[in-house]
Amino acid sequence: MKNIITIFKKEFYRVMSDRRLIFTSILLPGLAIYVMYSFIGGALGNEIDDIEQHKMIVYTENMPTEVANYIYSQGYNPEYHIYVPANQEELEAEILAGDVDLLIRFSPTFEDDIDNLVVSGILLHYNPGEKYSEYTYYRIAETLNQYAEEIGIERYGDAYYSFSMSSEIIMDEDKAAGQGFAMLLPMLIIMFLFSGAMSIGPDSIAGEKERGTIATLLVTPTKRSEIAIGKILSLTVISMFSATSSFIGIMFSLPKLMASGSGSDLDVFIYSAGDIAILFSVLIATVLVIVGLISVLSAYAKTIKEATMLIMPFYFLSIVLGMSTMFSGEASSNMWVYIVPIYSSVNLIISILTFEISTTAYLLTVFSSLVYVTLFIYLLNKLFQSEKVMFSK
Amino acid sequence: MNTLEVKNIRKTFKLSKKQRKIEKTDSKLKVAVNDLSFTAFPGEIYGLLGPNGAGKTTCLRAISTLIRVDEGDIIVGGSSVVNDSFEVRSKIGFLTSELKLEDHFSPNYLYTYFSRLHNVDEETIEERKKVLFKRFGIEEFKEVKIGDLSTGMKQKISIAISLVHDPDFIIFDEPTNGLDVLTARSVTDYLVELKDSGKTVILSTHILSVVEKLCDRVGIIINGKMKISDTLENVKKTNSKNDLEEIFFDLVKEESLIGGGF
Repeated sequence: MKNIITIFKKEFYRVMSDRRLIFTSILLPGLAIYVMYSFIGGALGNEIDDIEQHKMIVYTENMPTEVANYIYSQGYNPEYHIYVPANQEELEAEILAGDVDLLIRFSPTFEDDIDNLVVSGILLHYNPGEKYSEYTYYRIAETLNQYAEEIGIERYGDAYYSFSMSSEIIMDEDKAAGQGFAMLLPMLIIMFLFSGAMSIGPDSIAGEKERGTIATLLVTPTKRSEIAIGKILSLTVISMFSATSSFIGIMFSLPKLMASGSGSDLDVFIYSAGDIAILFSVLIATVLVIVGLISVLSAYAKTIKEATMLIMPFYFLSIVLGMSTMFSGEASSNMWVYIVPIYSSVNLIISILTFEISTTAYLLTVFSSLVYVTLFIYLLNKLFQSEKVMFSK
Repeated sequence: MNTLEVKNIRKTFKLSKKQRKIEKTDSKLKVAVNDLSFTAFPGEIYGLLGPNGAGKTTCLRAISTLIRVDEGDIIVGGSSVVNDSFEVRSKIGFLTSELKLEDHFSPNYLYTYFSRLHNVDEETIEERKKVLFKRFGIEEFKEVKIGDLSTGMKQKISIAISLVHDPDFIIFDEPTNGLDVLTARSVTDYLVELKDSGKTVILSTHILSVVEKLCDRVGIIINGKMKISDTLENVKKTNSKNDLEEIFFDLVKEESLIGGGF
């Protein structure tokens, strides 16, 4: 028993006397969860606000004023347009593109039908692949249902449904599937790229310092910059292997996962070889930035443990950045976003997956990533030259 | 000329609060070496003697360009550590217990790796590898991972690897530390061979018998200062007993009286 206490005390003291360990093992988890969940809450709230503030664009055919008034009384104020049957194709294209949210077609005899106890029909056209259209459809359909119920009670004293509703989906299957991918993949990809680099980076640099093998390298007539570039490139290639393996895993398992949840089908093969090639080039640019960051932190750290500790907050931050777009599944149209490291990649990956990639965004992301990695190589070079950093114990 | 000249070097380190407490000092700087000078000549072994913490390692690190001097300079075969550190690194073979080899690799792999970093051509790499591996008995272990080898074998491999580029200047810090008598002997024999072939050899040690047997010139560092630097013969003459150990103790005593704190 005495020995148990002695050992307990020593182990307890080991952690409690190490400020870094207290931070990583006790404070960081709580802090990370708080930041991550607050961020999710915030992002989710923003997304809901955005949808609610959107002005619904609705085309109507034979819509009775009474119904329009009822919709207004429920707090909705869509921008109405009159449906012209001759422009059917054009309108469908607009719904498909997300420019129009909903088309409601009433029978010309709708009001008479209700009076005559004939069950009239309403046909709603919408696009569930577009968030505004989907939202508009659900809100309007719900309101119409309520309306049917109310007039039933009002006129017949019973919840008799005086009309029926049916809907027609106008959707680009590929784009919808793309959006499905766009919601999940960016976060997963960034996570996998980061964890791949994290599992080897600290060992390659902090580990060499810890084991005393980096000094052997530093006494050879090799430029510090050559050591920095050589290490970063090798870590990048290995991280890419790791990320590719994870990526293949996701691409094959995700359709199964999504299918079991929503019933909708996600087909990986909606992307062309060109899309995949562009995606791959973005991944390389991203990995370079991640590896650069991890290398600099690892060179600064005295031990592998310390390196991992220093990297952890950045890992959490990158997951948060990956999550930030999870609820919208849309890439930012603000071009400044595309020079923010990691965040630019997240947005660009989404734009590739949703077939909406912009050349400017692509070039900005790739170019800024190269600038960042150059900066990291410069820093790494400086750290390798610093005797204080390389030989402090 | 292939001489190695250490010219009035000074190196200080910043002390953290904790270190100041341990060292019981208010000074934020610790002077590791102070106005240190000596010259090592080709075809000779220069022995750097000193108690632990005297500044030997700092001095050797400065020669190997791992650390920069605050003042002074070191000229290695005409190249300055301050201005041409890159050149200096290609001229020296440096061995210290601080320079480790990665456990995961085999001697064969690491030998080639370091040879390439020293820009040795492929043909010479193989030729020299054969000679050195045979000389140190590494041949039969050349494909075994470093991690699986004995301390003595690791040390011999470190020595071979420090010499991949056939350097003119050889700086060995405690090369026989932790070695058995046989292995230690093979290392010291090799140092003599290097000296005979005209290399400039600097040897740091605290084993006085090694110095007496091997060195042509001796420098004794105490408390960061060079107390004496001359041929072994002349150094011995400074004491009536003609005994290196006595001279060493006298110097340590003298320094502690001045306030060195030993």
